[in-house]
Amino acid sequence: MTARGYRFWIGAAIVLSAACVAAAVVKNEYYFYAAYVVIQFVVLATAWNILGGYAGYVNFGSSAFFGVGAYIAVMLIKWLNLPLGLQIIAAAAVGGTLGFGVGLLTLRLRGIFFSIATVAITIILETAVINWRFVGGATGIQILRPPVMEPFESYTKMLFVCMVLLAIIAVAIARHIETSWIGRGLRAIRDNEEAAECTGVPTLKLKLAACAISGALMSAAGAPLAMYQSFVEPASAFNLTYSVSALAMPIIGGTSHWLGPVLGALLLGSVQQIVTVTVSSELNVLVVGVLLVVFVVAAPQGLVGLFTKVKDKVKGN
Amino acid sequence: MKLPRIVAALVCSVLMTASGALFAQGSKPPVKIGMSMPQTGTLGGGGQAALVALRMWVDDVNGKGGLLGRKVEFIVYDDQSNPALTPGIYTKLLDVDKVDLLIAPYATVPTAPIMPLVKQRGLLLMGNFSFQVNHTVKHDMWFNNAPWNDASSWSDGFFKAGKQVGAKTIAILAADQEFAQNLANGARELAGKAGLKTVYNQNYPPATVDFSAIIRAIRAAKPDMVFVCSYPNDSVAIVRAVNEIGVGSSVKLFGGGMVGLQFTPNMVSLGSMLNGIVNYNSYVPGMKYPGIDEFFERYRKRAGEAKVDPLGLYLPPFNYAIGQMIEQAVNGTRSLDHKTLAAYLRKNEMKTIVGSIRYGPDGEWVNPRVVQAQFRGIADKNMDQFRQPGKQVVLYPEQYKTGEVIAPFEKARK
Repeated sequence: MTARGYRFWIGAAIVLSAACVAAAVVKNEYYFYAAYVVIQFVVLATAWNILGGYAGYVNFGSSAFFGVGAYIAVMLIKWLNLPLGLQIIAAAAVGGTLGFGVGLLTLRLRGIFFSIATVAITIILETAVINWRFVGGATGIQILRPPVMEPFESYTKMLFVCMVLLAIIAVAIARHIETSWIGRGLRAIRDNEEAAECTGVPTLKLKLAACAISGALMSAAGAPLAMYQSFVEPASAFNLTYSVSALAMPIIGGTSHWLGPVLGALLLGSVQQIVTVTVSSELNVLVVGVLLVVFVVAAPQGLVGLFTKVKDKVKGN
Repeated sequence: MKLPRIVAALVCSVLMTASGALFAQGSKPPVKIGMSMPQTGTLGGGGQAALVALRMWVDDVNGKGGLLGRKVEFIVYDDQSNPALTPGIYTKLLDVDKVDLLIAPYATVPTAPIMPLVKQRGLLLMGNFSFQVNHTVKHDMWFNNAPWNDASSWSDGFFKAGKQVGAKTIAILAADQEFAQNLANGARELAGKAGLKTVYNQNYPPATVDFSAIIRAIRAAKPDMVFVCSYPNDSVAIVRAVNEIGVGSSVKLFGGGMVGLQFTPNMVSLGSMLNGIVNYNSYVPGMKYPGIDEFFERYRKRAGEAKVDPLGLYLPPFNYAIGQMIEQAVNGTRSLDHKTLAAYLRKNEMKTIVGSIRYGPDGEWVNPRVVQAQFRGIADKNMDQFRQPGKQVVLYPEQYKTGEVIAPFEKARK
């Protein structure tokens, strides 16, 4: 392992430990409720960036994978009463398979046509769930949380730590992809797919792998939603705002580096949470829009690009 | 010189006592009441009107000196009609804002996610026009302000009117959504019990905008009565489609559970197209309760300033009633303890501007009072007509009845 690799894993261990300590020390549950949403967006944005950022295939269907994850969890709770960990693993497996299938059907499309196809997937899956009475159909379903596991004192804190762990796994996967031959192949596809194909890059295989991994992570992020909300219904589980946020966060943070989606999600997610309970939650969408426009115009490479520029200037001086 | 000194000492002591008392009252922390209310999104229109009524109660109670001698502070957040936001908002209300009492957001969907939270923490929750939201959770400290309990309490009146006009067959059309499905299931049960033959039974996707094919299919089925369970936008589109295409001469009764036909902007925009429709309501002009006329007078001034539902017949009085129930329970128990307040609410009859309310073990009304009323003599583009009694003739319940149903539907439309 390289020195950077060691630094990454030490950093990840510190983050996880800090989350555990916070769960043990901080009594106020609200902070965990709010932080859970922000960290959930770290997973979603990182997952989106694997296909959208590295390969340049803009996926508008993040909410489809997220919703599928939530509903797989609901199904498993109702059917087998499985614990949270198994719900997440099952959701990731289904999300990965779905991503692979969707990739097979849609990856022959490019640009805006691919994006439109991914929007259609959200609509199809939402309609399917609306008509699936076992998981509550259009009515939605209330879920009562089981007793919390030791050593956590509340279920919300357990969900928060669980989401932090998921975020670390997602970022580690994204980082591995970025620094390996897979990432180089995906970047080649983004820059010029024909040239990449001609030079021997297995474009379809790489795109399918990116689609499956991205889908698996998004569905894993959606799985704890059932326990977080204690209620799941199709309109909110498949809400288009998940797709918009999953796309906006990496663009704001920067799509070229694994840190970009993390920074974007932390910034935008936190601002959204603060705005919701201070100014007006109606301004949420406006905040996303304004930040997106500002970053696209002023910092097309996102926060990471901005930092690199500043760093280079400082070094140059 | 002694006298003025004594007077000065007396004046000083009186002033000190008075300022001490004032300081003591001023230093008392407020009673915080918190909630989320859909102020934007699909439920935003209703939520904003409801909020005007709740703020009126807060002003009124503070004008009387507050609760337990403490001012009432009202903390509200907008949940955008999105159930994903309500658990976080209510946790903030409890853990950061440290509210003393909670009121549920308007409607079932935003309320459903907070039911497990209040149950787990053992908190009193005043419900706000939810339908069967406590059905699964069975929280014993839930009290709904809506005048219904189970599905049959909604549609009973419609089916009784159907029986009165000799209906033998029924068509059921329902939105594929939360409340509409619960209502339609209740209606199917009632239709079975009443021996009605179901000739059309369909759900439509929530995003449907064109109902012409559906209305044609209903007409082809030739039902005697059509029971519709729809949401505001759908209700408006269905009424327009019926007006353009017609449901056929066989139909004696049309309506039932159409949400949105109670909102003033919809009623004004549909105008004469509403004639003949028999639909549920929570309140119609002419129903007399102590204080309701005075409430509407004050509400309409505030609604004009806030630019929300100008008449506010549907939700606002019931939201004001939530405040009245809290006031009655707190004053009755001299406590803010949730268990004590819940016990009081369960045992006692609540006196409100929407009448007396007694709660059952499930936190719903023991005596439901959903009105089924028929629109009659409605003119186009006239809001003031909806203030008057007689434009919505009450067919059910018996104690509020103001007329008999006119059938068939085509005749009633004229």
